[in-house]
Amino acid sequence: MLIEKSLGKKKSLLDREILILAGLLLLLPWVLPFKSLPAEILIYGLGAVSFNILLGYTGLLSFGQAAFFGSGAYLTGLFLIHWGWHPALILILSGIVGALFAAVIGFLSIQQVGIYFVMLTLAFNQLAFFLAYQWKTVTGGDDGLMNVPRPDFSLLPGFKISLQSNLEFFLFVWVIFIGSFILIRRIIYSPFGRILLAIRDNPNRARAVGYNITLYKLVAFIISGFFTGLAGGLFALFMKMVPVTAIDLLTSTDFIIMTLLGGTGSLYGPVIGALVTKVASEILSELWARWLFILGVIFVGFVLFMRGGIWGLFVAIWNKFKSGRVKEPS
Amino acid sequence: MMLRTVDLTKQFGGLLAVDRVNLEVREGTIHSIIGPNGAGKTTFFNMLTGEIPPTQGEVFFQEKKISGLKPYQIARIGIGRSFQQNSLFKNLTVLENVRLAAHIHLEGHFHFLRDFRSFHLPIDQAQKVLEEIEILDLADRKAGELSHGAQRALEVALALAADPALILLDEPTSGMSPDETIKMIRLIKKLAKQRTMIVIEHNMNLVWSISTVITVLHQGQVIATGTPSEIGDHPEVRKAYLGGYSG
Repeated sequence: MLIEKSLGKKKSLLDREILILAGLLLLLPWVLPFKSLPAEILIYGLGAVSFNILLGYTGLLSFGQAAFFGSGAYLTGLFLIHWGWHPALILILSGIVGALFAAVIGFLSIQQVGIYFVMLTLAFNQLAFFLAYQWKTVTGGDDGLMNVPRPDFSLLPGFKISLQSNLEFFLFVWVIFIGSFILIRRIIYSPFGRILLAIRDNPNRARAVGYNITLYKLVAFIISGFFTGLAGGLFALFMKMVPVTAIDLLTSTDFIIMTLLGGTGSLYGPVIGALVTKVASEILSELWARWLFILGVIFVGFVLFMRGGIWGLFVAIWNKFKSGRVKEPS
Repeated sequence: MMLRTVDLTKQFGGLLAVDRVNLEVREGTIHSIIGPNGAGKTTFFNMLTGEIPPTQGEVFFQEKKISGLKPYQIARIGIGRSFQQNSLFKNLTVLENVRLAAHIHLEGHFHFLRDFRSFHLPIDQAQKVLEEIEILDLADRKAGELSHGAQRALEVALALAADPALILLDEPTSGMSPDETIKMIRLIKKLAKQRTMIVIEHNMNLVWSISTVITVLHQGQVIATGTPSEIGDHPEVRKAYLGGYSG
């Protein structure tokens, strides 16, 4: 009893939490009036959840996420255009290329801490951006990588799933999103994930009890890079092209804003952040040309007054209603 | 020999913080290091655990050279430490603090795909340590919410978590109220019975009651090493540090 109170309940791969999340997200195409938005929300949501492995769980504010996202997107685009491999294989490769970029950028950046670390990730993202921007023959440069096909997905020989309609593509992304989310949540609640939390909380003590914190940070980067690269691959399929903005620093800040707005304290926060940001920008951009200003004010408000983000607010209200409920360690 | 230092020296710019210290700690003994503030005690500790690289000299643990190793490597070969300033995982529960400290020694590296609560050894070990330190009843509280005294106790628990061969305690009673100090002294006496420890401490009552050997540091140098009664009678020690105290 004391153990459960102190450490929380053991989580199985598929439990009520996951089913609720999967169910709610599955409703998106029927709830939202915008046709292609639900898939986009899940793609950005996956990027934001992956980013939160670094920010929320390891305490690393990485501005390099777009490099992982963009490299995954370009890889998927290029493979579909030139080689036409099976999309499943290409998406796994886009995760791997994201992980490779994360390994290199992460390794070089974690040699420093604090603001120097942040600036390094930012600088490397700029480097990746200019590489994509300049290398016109491969990436299409400023025009983007055009005419990426979205092939059908052959599951078994002779059995193909079409990904052409918005709903079909959404369901495809939904399956990958939920699968990735389950895996990421398992990693977060594994001994490895707990050590990341310890490093966020007190790196010196983590080191003093025997953890090689540099190595753990690097592995956190690689995992985050894998799922961010996967999200990038989905983005290329979604857009049927790769705009150079996919690897732009602004995409990194998108993930940061979504995560902070939704809340860094859980894996659900970034998903809510992606949902709210994308829906709000859809609605606001139709109302007012300077809609980003409103989003900015909301963001500043949350950072100043609601550090736990929307999810934190939700949890606080929930606990008020169910006071006396045992709070799980985050 | 559990631990041995050879001419261990640390120079910070013009300040010679630790000056050619030779220390020998035998297995099963409690070795206290005393000395006025600024004598170099904590710097000496930090060189043993790799937090600070020595300017000169070497450290041997069980006759293997450990100076030059990183703090996490030294922690893993069997030296546990507490800090003078509380250094805890404040946002995690007390049990989770100790479980984390025990985990790597019992289960090793990089488990990604199983829930951490299915690893029972570190949980059992954490409970055992908390019971010994007498804060098991606080297991579900966040470390940052504890009283100072309980946080100091958790500091000691983190040093013990991996069941290390050698335990370094840096002023376990620092900043404690008189009541808390009495409790901590009783606790450390209990722990001292079956362990090898190096303790930095200002509380002379504690030092004299637990120590097998006492080393006195003064301005970075060892001015005396001996049993409590030898140190109590040492004229130079009395002059430099102890004032009128007689054990």
